[in-house]
Amino acid sequence: MIKTIKASKSEKILFIFLIILAVSAFTSFFLLKNKCLFIDKNDLKKLNFENPDNIAVMNLECGNVIIELYPETSPKAVERFKTLIEKKKYDGSAFYKVVENTLVQAGDIEFGNIEYLDYSKIGSGKSGLGLLKSELSDDFEFTEGSIGFARSKEFDTEDSEFFITLKEIPIYQGEYTPIGKVKFGLDILKKIKTGNKAIYVLRPDYIKTFRMLEIN
Amino acid sequence: MKIIILFIIIFQFFHVNADEIYNLIKIPNLEIYKLKNENNIRYLNAKGDFKIGVDDNIACNKTNRENLNSKFPIIERNIKRYNSKFLKKIDLKYVVFCEGLFVSKINTGGIPDNKNRTLILDINFNEKYFERMIHHEIFHMIQNSYEDHFNDLKFALFNNSDFEYAECSTCSDRLNLDLYENTNGFLTEYSKSIPSEDMAEIFSFLMVNKNLIEEKIKNDSILNKKVNFIKSKISKIDENIL
Repeated sequence: MIKTIKASKSEKILFIFLIILAVSAFTSFFLLKNKCLFIDKNDLKKLNFENPDNIAVMNLECGNVIIELYPETSPKAVERFKTLIEKKKYDGSAFYKVVENTLVQAGDIEFGNIEYLDYSKIGSGKSGLGLLKSELSDDFEFTEGSIGFARSKEFDTEDSEFFITLKEIPIYQGEYTPIGKVKFGLDILKKIKTGNKAIYVLRPDYIKTFRMLEIN
Repeated sequence: MKIIILFIIIFQFFHVNADEIYNLIKIPNLEIYKLKNENNIRYLNAKGDFKIGVDDNIACNKTNRENLNSKFPIIERNIKRYNSKFLKKIDLKYVVFCEGLFVSKINTGGIPDNKNRTLILDINFNEKYFERMIHHEIFHMIQNSYEDHFNDLKFALFNNSDFEYAECSTCSDRLNLDLYENTNGFLTEYSKSIPSEDMAEIFSFLMVNKNLIEEKIKNDSILNKKVNFIKSKISKIDENIL
């Protein structure tokens, strides 16, 4: 006859402790490690837009970032941006410059694609479409989620690189050519990998696809 | 190995500088003081001491907020006299406030920097000359943007042939900024330092006390020519400034 042995109080405590340990280990390894957890992926089927012609969809690791372009504010810049999107030039473009909680920058077509990153030249790549004249606006406010064309220190040097602000940066008003604003997906942008203490990011996150909204 | 060295260089030296103001005008430790102004000028304040330039030769200290608040209306009133179009033409967009401004250990009221569209002002500069100093420094920005209009050699020809300017503005002891009773072609002692300072002195007096200068030139033919020269050249840039 098998005798049932009752667990002592200390054994019970140890057992509960082991369960808690296992749960926390699972959480850390499988759940918390997933940076996209609890982030709205912005399913396009569930969204409606008033101005669909000027909506661009940037697909990143954590989901879709929906951007409204402002052709009335910067016609030439938006035209260039749309051209590059339609030619799929931004696909694979790395967010090589990320300032935590401040801005993310991508769009170096020549040296900043995830397939052929060249850290010695990144930020100097050309689109092949020529430089654009700056279209500065004293009315466009660079609030959180604003998209602007990056440029060198000089004006009229915009080409393909763009940045998105993750906070309000009032000093940028009238300094950079505005392109549009993020309508949905700011949380996704805030999950983009930063360079820790360096301005450039090693093994950066990148744009999977960048498309204009398909209107059916 | 080369790649590793390259990575070390890139990731060691290009540290994040989340300071957006620094990225624009290359002066650290600044904060926004007043951004929205009719003429699109932007006022920035030194929240910490800074050193910039070659070998950090330009140094200035942070401001005392109360001190700045008391002096700001004077600065704003004077800078408001320049419209946004004019400011754009002379590459002036940012005015930086600090206290105790030194260039190569020489105290100065302001430093114009057309390249970064910035004018640094020492808010503790002698009150007696403070307003005039603002316009004096702005003239240097005008001259930097319109070198052909304000040619030093051409301007120097207005003087008597026996007069010689100094080699540079700080190479002589001609530093006094008080208006001469008898002008003899020059408004102040500092006017005698170099042609560009002479022009800047005339411009600044025209901005703060035009009537007095109009009186002075009635009996000073050299000064008369100089003042008319400045007036005519400025009017070519903007008719409404002087």
